[in-house]
Amino acid sequence: MIAVVGLIVGVVAGLLLQPSVPAAVAPYLPIAVIAALDALFGGLRAKLDGLFDEKVFIVSFLSNVVVAALIVFLGDQLGVGSQMSTGVVVVLGIRIFSNAAAIRRHLFKA
Amino acid sequence: MSLLRQVMDHPLDPGYEAARRATGGVRPQRGVVTRIWVGLLAVLLGAVTVVAARELRRPEPSALAARTLLESQISERQGDVDTLSRRVSQVGAEVETLRSDALSDASPSLLDTLNRDGVLSGSTALQGPGVVVTLRDAPVLKDADVDPDSRVQDLDLQIVVNSLWSVGAEAVAINDQRLTPVTAVRSAGDAILVNLQPVSSPYSVVAIGDPGKLQSGLARSPAGDWMVSLTNFGIQSSTVGQSELDVPGDDSVRLRYARPVESPATDGSGDATPAAGGPTSDEDQGYGQ
Repeated sequence: MIAVVGLIVGVVAGLLLQPSVPAAVAPYLPIAVIAALDALFGGLRAKLDGLFDEKVFIVSFLSNVVVAALIVFLGDQLGVGSQMSTGVVVVLGIRIFSNAAAIRRHLFKA
Repeated sequence: MSLLRQVMDHPLDPGYEAARRATGGVRPQRGVVTRIWVGLLAVLLGAVTVVAARELRRPEPSALAARTLLESQISERQGDVDTLSRRVSQVGAEVETLRSDALSDASPSLLDTLNRDGVLSGSTALQGPGVVVTLRDAPVLKDADVDPDSRVQDLDLQIVVNSLWSVGAEAVAINDQRLTPVTAVRSAGDAILVNLQPVSSPYSVVAIGDPGKLQSGLARSPAGDWMVSLTNFGIQSSTVGQSELDVPGDDSVRLRYARPVESPATDGSGDATPAAGGPTSDEDQGYGQ
């Protein structure tokens, strides 16, 4: 409950305050958004499975974003940043699809 | 393959099951500190995610800056052009006044000739009764491919204009571009050019003359049939008579070959020397077109 309320508060704050983002972190934004989506779908599925745990949810959310950004950062340093981004997007995309399929089975029994 | 299978078959973060196993199948009760941490991190993550998403939707700053710069330059130049054209018409009116002042006493017949030439060459603005013929491109659904046949072509305007001349129009303008003896109505790519200025739909052809005669004459002329057949392509046209219409003058009428005499002849001999070497066949051609 705390996690969900906190997320909503954060989203509203982000929409209202509109802080500016430093240019240096701009390359990591798409990956961060994909990682956040993955964590959200994972959390929703865990909720439906009855396994939801706020601490696990938040930690997985945070680590997803940080690790995804780190991978892209490393890729940038090695000159393969775009390939790394693609890899992260593929893996997280597959996870999002699988979790979405599980959520669909829960909700529609189909 | 096992990596892909792992991702496909067990997409759920293993942490959820591990946490449940660690507490023996019951919902874990967490301490206050942990809950505060969870809440704070949740706020942070929500904010970061939504800010990232917003940032990604925003156009590129550099492209935006270039666009703004171009826009400001365009409006600046546009302002310059407006100022200069105002100045042109102002000075033109001044010249006109000075000329008629000077000539009204000295040589009224020359002034009459000048005025008539101004009307015929299209350099003076005119007003009077007349008709407005409006041609409009067929309506196009947004983003649909435009069928060239459904647009008004230069030929359509040419036929309308020529018919108007033939039934007694004294002055004609298309979308405020006055038709002069050297005006061409022609297309360049998708655009129609009148006096080399692009005009666009709806095209309003303003003709000054006897409204009744123009309307009935136009209906009987080839243009009448032509406009009827244009409705097959979805092009709408209308002819409206009006008691008061304006056609602008065309500033682009200018001398091409003749130039003023550098020092006016002061010897008073009646044998006036032609200013620019006399009317040669070249000059005749220059004006004849």
